[in-house]
Amino acid sequence: MDYYGWMQLLQGAWTTAWISMVSIALGVVIGLVIALIRMAKLPIIDQILGVYVSWARATPLVTLALFIFLSFPSFGINLDKHFSAILCLTLNTSAFNAEIWRNAFLNFSSGQKEAAEALGMRRMTYFRRIMFPQMVVMSLPALVNEMSFLIKGSPAIAVIGVVDLTRVTNRIAAVTYEPLLPILCAGILYMCIIGVLIKLQQMAERKANYLAG
Amino acid sequence: MLNEKIHTGPVETPKTVQETAPVVELPVQYPKSESNAQDIVKVVNLSKQFDGIEVLRDINLTIKKGDVVSILGSSGSGKSTLLRCMNWLEQPERGSIHLGDERIGINPATRKPLKYKELAKIRERIGMVFQSFNLWPHLTVLRNVMEALLHVKKMPKVEAEKIARAQLEKVGMSHKLDSYPSMLSGGQKQRVAIARALAMEPEVLLFDEPTSALDPELVDEVLTVMQSLSKEGYTMVVVTHEMEFARNVSSQVVFLEKGILIEKCPPEKFFTHPDSPRVRQFLKLDGA
Repeated sequence: MDYYGWMQLLQGAWTTAWISMVSIALGVVIGLVIALIRMAKLPIIDQILGVYVSWARATPLVTLALFIFLSFPSFGINLDKHFSAILCLTLNTSAFNAEIWRNAFLNFSSGQKEAAEALGMRRMTYFRRIMFPQMVVMSLPALVNEMSFLIKGSPAIAVIGVVDLTRVTNRIAAVTYEPLLPILCAGILYMCIIGVLIKLQQMAERKANYLAG
Repeated sequence: MLNEKIHTGPVETPKTVQETAPVVELPVQYPKSESNAQDIVKVVNLSKQFDGIEVLRDINLTIKKGDVVSILGSSGSGKSTLLRCMNWLEQPERGSIHLGDERIGINPATRKPLKYKELAKIRERIGMVFQSFNLWPHLTVLRNVMEALLHVKKMPKVEAEKIARAQLEKVGMSHKLDSYPSMLSGGQKQRVAIARALAMEPEVLLFDEPTSALDPELVDEVLTVMQSLSKEGYTMVVVTHEMEFARNVSSQVVFLEKGILIEKCPPEKFFTHPDSPRVRQFLKLDGA
């Protein structure tokens, strides 16, 4: 594998990393918003979001990616393949994250809220200062888990032509006829990306020990 | 003595001149001039149902400044519900509750429920201590006490910290300022919860079975704090099973049975010769 091959590999890793990170960031926030709206139990919107969550959780990423990439042009909208990839990953991960956040809402003790109410605290202050910080720490293990699933599922976006870390190994092998080395390096790079997430999770778990009592 | 001035319910005969104000029919309206400045909490004809089951029926209770009122009764008698109605954590169907001159929970002009913001304003003036402490586990002891000062009263940080430190000193928790609630014993948690309520300088403190979740040997440290608060003149309403506390600390004992207030008198009378046969039975006064 020559210099050009290594550069290609790193470029593939970068593509996987930035597309995943953008999707993760969007997915965590959108998931929270969906959970908040669903907790408000607005009649029709709640059902629509419920259908979306079930649909997105039940659809394979490859199918979703192809569907987005092929369906939009038929409405006359031409999507950039990177944009399609982010849209696909975000739609998928938001649904899973929404369930994680919703679970944190449902499991939150009502006593803390009563204490805040009894002190005259406003709902928004209570959510921002008391509930949300704890929800983050409680949900982080599950969120990080979902993040690593997203990164590991991200090769699905190669199907619409994005040259990600897995796809790039094929390209290198096509030139060098040595498929083993690039795919081994890709595996190590995936581990590095996910290792950062695991580190984050461990830090959160240490913090979560305070909340156990 | 203060407790002799307590308003009595419809069945009991008035004992002092101040009490001759007649018990009026619903809807009750107290003219400003008649309401005694010393009355802090006034519960009038309060009724509350859970799923059609009446848990409180026509409760009348007046709490004056400096009173320590113990609410006794067997489990399910409605005593906790009565206390929780006093800061609108439970909403009664009928009757009214007043804090000073203000009605809690309902706007008297429109007869509609208060907006959350207005309700929060009134709740600032009522402190509450819960059976399960309800401390915020992600904040240190000091931050737990400071939180409402900073984000409800909007105090500057330096001032809030000063007050929080002073209140924690009062309950004997100065040595645990930087601990998290999970590191504390039950008695310590409850003392922090008391300091958190005190820091807001409430006009009345509500205690909902403050020692029921504690190991027997930790009960005393909480009761000692409560006793010293009563000596400082705090107005307190305490739902409790601690007979010694009710007898020695409170100025008035109230007994609820199946949602009805059946006895209300000073502890000396309550524990020796109560009027109600049910209370005599509860205290096992008639012998086995």
